[in-house]
Amino acid sequence: MPPREGIYGLIAEFNTPSELVYATEQAREAGYRRMECYTPYPVEEAAEALHFHKTRVPLVCLLGGLMGVTTCFLMETWINVYAYPLNIAGRPLFSWPAFIIPAYEWTILFAGLSTAFGMLALNGLPQLYHPVFNAPNFRNGATTDKFFLCLEASDPKFSLGETRAFLETFPAVSVVEVDH
Amino acid sequence: MASGHEQHGSHHLAAHGPRVLPSTLGSPEVLSAWRTRSLIIGVAFTVLSLVFLAVPGGAEHLMRAYLHGWVLCFGFAGGGLIMLMLQYVTGGKWGLLLRRPLEAMAGTLPLMALALIPLGVSLFTGKSMYVWATFNTVAKALQAVKDHQLGLEDALTLISKRAMLNPWAAVAQSCFAFAVFLFFAFTLRRWSMQRDADEARGTEGSFERWRTKFENLSGPGILIYVILMTDIIIVWVMSLDVSWYSSVWGLKFMVGQGYGVLALGILTVICLSKAEPIKTLLRATEQHDLGKFLFAFVMLNIYLTFAEFLILWSGNVPDEIPWYLARIHGGWWTICSLDFVCHWLIPFCLLLSRDLKRSKSRMKALCTFMILARAIDLFWIIEPNFPDAAGNLHLAGNYGILAYLTVPIAMLGLWGTYYLTLLNSRPLIVVNDPHLEEMLEPEHAH
Repeated sequence: MPPREGIYGLIAEFNTPSELVYATEQAREAGYRRMECYTPYPVEEAAEALHFHKTRVPLVCLLGGLMGVTTCFLMETWINVYAYPLNIAGRPLFSWPAFIIPAYEWTILFAGLSTAFGMLALNGLPQLYHPVFNAPNFRNGATTDKFFLCLEASDPKFSLGETRAFLETFPAVSVVEVDH
Repeated sequence: MASGHEQHGSHHLAAHGPRVLPSTLGSPEVLSAWRTRSLIIGVAFTVLSLVFLAVPGGAEHLMRAYLHGWVLCFGFAGGGLIMLMLQYVTGGKWGLLLRRPLEAMAGTLPLMALALIPLGVSLFTGKSMYVWATFNTVAKALQAVKDHQLGLEDALTLISKRAMLNPWAAVAQSCFAFAVFLFFAFTLRRWSMQRDADEARGTEGSFERWRTKFENLSGPGILIYVILMTDIIIVWVMSLDVSWYSSVWGLKFMVGQGYGVLALGILTVICLSKAEPIKTLLRATEQHDLGKFLFAFVMLNIYLTFAEFLILWSGNVPDEIPWYLARIHGGWWTICSLDFVCHWLIPFCLLLSRDLKRSKSRMKALCTFMILARAIDLFWIIEPNFPDAAGNLHLAGNYGILAYLTVPIAMLGLWGTYYLTLLNSRPLIVVNDPHLEEMLEPEHAH
């Protein structure tokens, strides 16, 4: 993929989380959708303001669990009934009660692994490069005491002049262009 | 004590900081209406149950259904007590929210003690549903073998267990256990009243003093309750089949009690949240937490039930396996499946959903359903113990079995009346508790 050029977005720096959340809410109200908050510690209201609630991780977890239970149960059935039938105390070959516990264990295992890896796959980690680090004030601030709101250029509503003017209506410390 | 979580954002600017404690802390008017409704249901179904006296074999079934109803209601009363002690020991906001309902449930224990009297009296009638009470001497037991009323193995087991399983021993065990339960319930209630009225309430000193006091009583109380409840449930339920035993029996019932108590507690709190003061206090966060807790009990319940089954199934011993055969064959397969589906499958699948746990109306429906599931479970455990029903579920010529529909509802209705009366008698919000402050904080997303 050729390197992308041009503007990634506009990033506004705030001193307090309240200002950040307020700006985020206003931006959403103004119609912006492709935006992201960056804070040095979790600010739950920011996630709420972004309407960042639904992820597909629970679905991945559920599918992983179902995959685990079916895989194990079918495997046990195949081994005990077809591949290596053993007469154990005269019980039927298809002794499903005995299959439940391994099937349950596989459910947990698959659900856990698919949640962890599904989360990584969905959030794009590990990510070696992210454009916001091109903003000179981001590197220091985002991990210590500053709160950032980035409105991304891929948003249909984004326009360099208007968006900048919009962000400057808030008490932002600075509004900086971020290059790709 | 407060979590120190700051609030940010415009919608909080108007009402920044903690929300205000509602002006009325007492229970809403609607509680009296529910109580009347509960009483009407109780009385109506009691009258309806009397019809079974006219049905052949109905009287016997009335007694069995009475036991079913008693175990169900005792699950709420005793379960309420242990859950109350548990929340004192663990602390936390879920406990504060449920404390009044749990206190009210534990407060019904005297009623459950009184309700045990008919069962106690039935032991002395000479024709009890417990074979150990009917054949209460060695001579009677051996005579019963000769008359083909009792198998030899049952008779010998019965004789060897006579120290524990005889009418007077059962009465003594019940009296002792209930004396201890009542001691704990009353002491916790008295202290809770004193805590509300504490002169120094709202101070760190008062919080600490009461927390320590409640913890010191509740810790040992949990252990004692578990032991005594196991004994009670062995005497009154497991001994219906005198030669069968399971070592997970008490624990299984205790988890079942937790399952029922949480369902009823959540149901109560959600219903109360239509009006102040619970309206302010019940946030989606705590409801979500309670839903997760309920989910844990759903899991633990199937875990124990299945473990019991798997071990007996693997052992395949002639002494133990008939217990399951009587509960699977001859039509019982339907109830067994229904039990599995209602008691575990449906609550499990539904409680996986985050949205459902945060929805009031859906949680309400689910909790009601789970209480019904408890009743199905107990029916499956109790009825197949009797020779006429073991491996033979039938309705034709056996209409008395329908008493299992009316008697437990009647008992739940009457028990519910007392429960709601107790709930109505005190303010619904516990003021002298540090967690109150946390619950009054505005909610944020999780």
